[in-house]
Amino acid sequence: MAKRVRGAEKAYARKVKDAVHILFFKHHKLPGVRGWELRQELGSDWQNVLDVLDKQLQPMDLKVNRVFDEPDVIDPTRTQLADARYYITLRGTVDQKTAKTIGWRIDDIAGLAVSVAFLISKQGKAPRIDIERVLQEKLPGWRVKLNMDKYIQQGYLGEDDEGVMYLNWRSRAEIDQKKLVDLVVAFGKTPT
Amino acid sequence: MAQSELESVINLCKMVQSGKIEPFDIDFDYVITIIRRHYPNIKFVEDFCLDAQAIKELSSVLERQNQWIAHQSSTLYKDPFMLSQSLMRMDIGAIADAFLKSWHPLLELEQISAKTLASSLGYWGGLIPFDERWTEPDVAVRDTEYASRAEASALGYLPEEGFMDVIEAFWKELGDRVGPGGSIEYWEWIGADTYEDTVYRSFLTVFLVSYGYANMNTDRLLEETMIFHNSEPQQDTGRSKVSLPMMVDYEEWRLWRNE
Repeated sequence: MAKRVRGAEKAYARKVKDAVHILFFKHHKLPGVRGWELRQELGSDWQNVLDVLDKQLQPMDLKVNRVFDEPDVIDPTRTQLADARYYITLRGTVDQKTAKTIGWRIDDIAGLAVSVAFLISKQGKAPRIDIERVLQEKLPGWRVKLNMDKYIQQGYLGEDDEGVMYLNWRSRAEIDQKKLVDLVVAFGKTPT
Repeated sequence: MAQSELESVINLCKMVQSGKIEPFDIDFDYVITIIRRHYPNIKFVEDFCLDAQAIKELSSVLERQNQWIAHQSSTLYKDPFMLSQSLMRMDIGAIADAFLKSWHPLLELEQISAKTLASSLGYWGGLIPFDERWTEPDVAVRDTEYASRAEASALGYLPEEGFMDVIEAFWKELGDRVGPGGSIEYWEWIGADTYEDTVYRSFLTVFLVSYGYANMNTDRLLEETMIFHNSEPQQDTGRSKVSLPMMVDYEEWRLWRNE
């Protein structure tokens, strides 16, 4: 019995190691891996393996994050889980100093924050020209266009053929939208 | 007049889709009365299409109104005016700070492993140098000659067995698998280990059906296609043949294989 338990533990440890290899290293043009790829590599208990990995990553301030193709999934089906994209993200947050060292100017961060907050207030969709108008109140016009293209290229924002912007996969993966909106609305109010 | 009014309705609904106006800026009751008013006067197919499009766009507006209510009742909802006022009050540093407190950037590493290095070295070793690769082909003018059927087959220009032999062998395989007169789900039948083999089996299946060795039935509601084995090939009744365009999507094959 004890031998069988040890065998199962070893197999699980191997699967967690495999999950690290799959999730940490770049495999595709877009970051992250699909649920069905993880199932293929880790077996039918792939979700339990991810739970174990998530617990092991906790002390290192990292977490296993999941993003569905459809934005508002609450109780996912098996197909939605298989199609979801899985990532490793920072569990906590970064400060301005660290953000600068990873290549983000304060203007770029603020521009992205405004674009994301504006889109959230518009239910996730708005014409590009409206977002540019808001950004131009505090950033020079040439920089606004450049930044918008950068946010699109990095996967934070998307733009359809008719110039309508939406929140893309990366915003859903990396940004705690509720917290951002709460912080913006609470600005200047003294905590009670 | 009717046409231009319906076009206006469609454009108005499209503005909701693109986020230019809010979903509840549209008075559903008023718009539906416009569509209803024109419906009895429709005579041409084009007008029917326009009417159908107007209904479709209006139903999308209803969907957006529904999403809007769901969004407003969610914890994410904040009054857009209040939000934009807050954003305007904040300086760039404060906005950046708020963002950084809610940002969890993702991690991904690029790494060359010893295994990739070894296989890359193998590839480099096998790569023919440019001066060898780009040499002019040695082409000489030759007179046309004759080849026997066996020689053409040996060169791969002619299949070794006739096409009907291939079809009959495929029919036999179907019979062995499902029994005389039996049936099988389309993907279960054509699916193979490689995508190329799957496409080939789909190609042969189309001929199997066209030549009366099997029948195909598609339930469009359930999106299910079944292949039925014919115990005896059905004779050509002289009726015109129907082409069966069958899509063998790579993604679908991959999903099927992973199931």
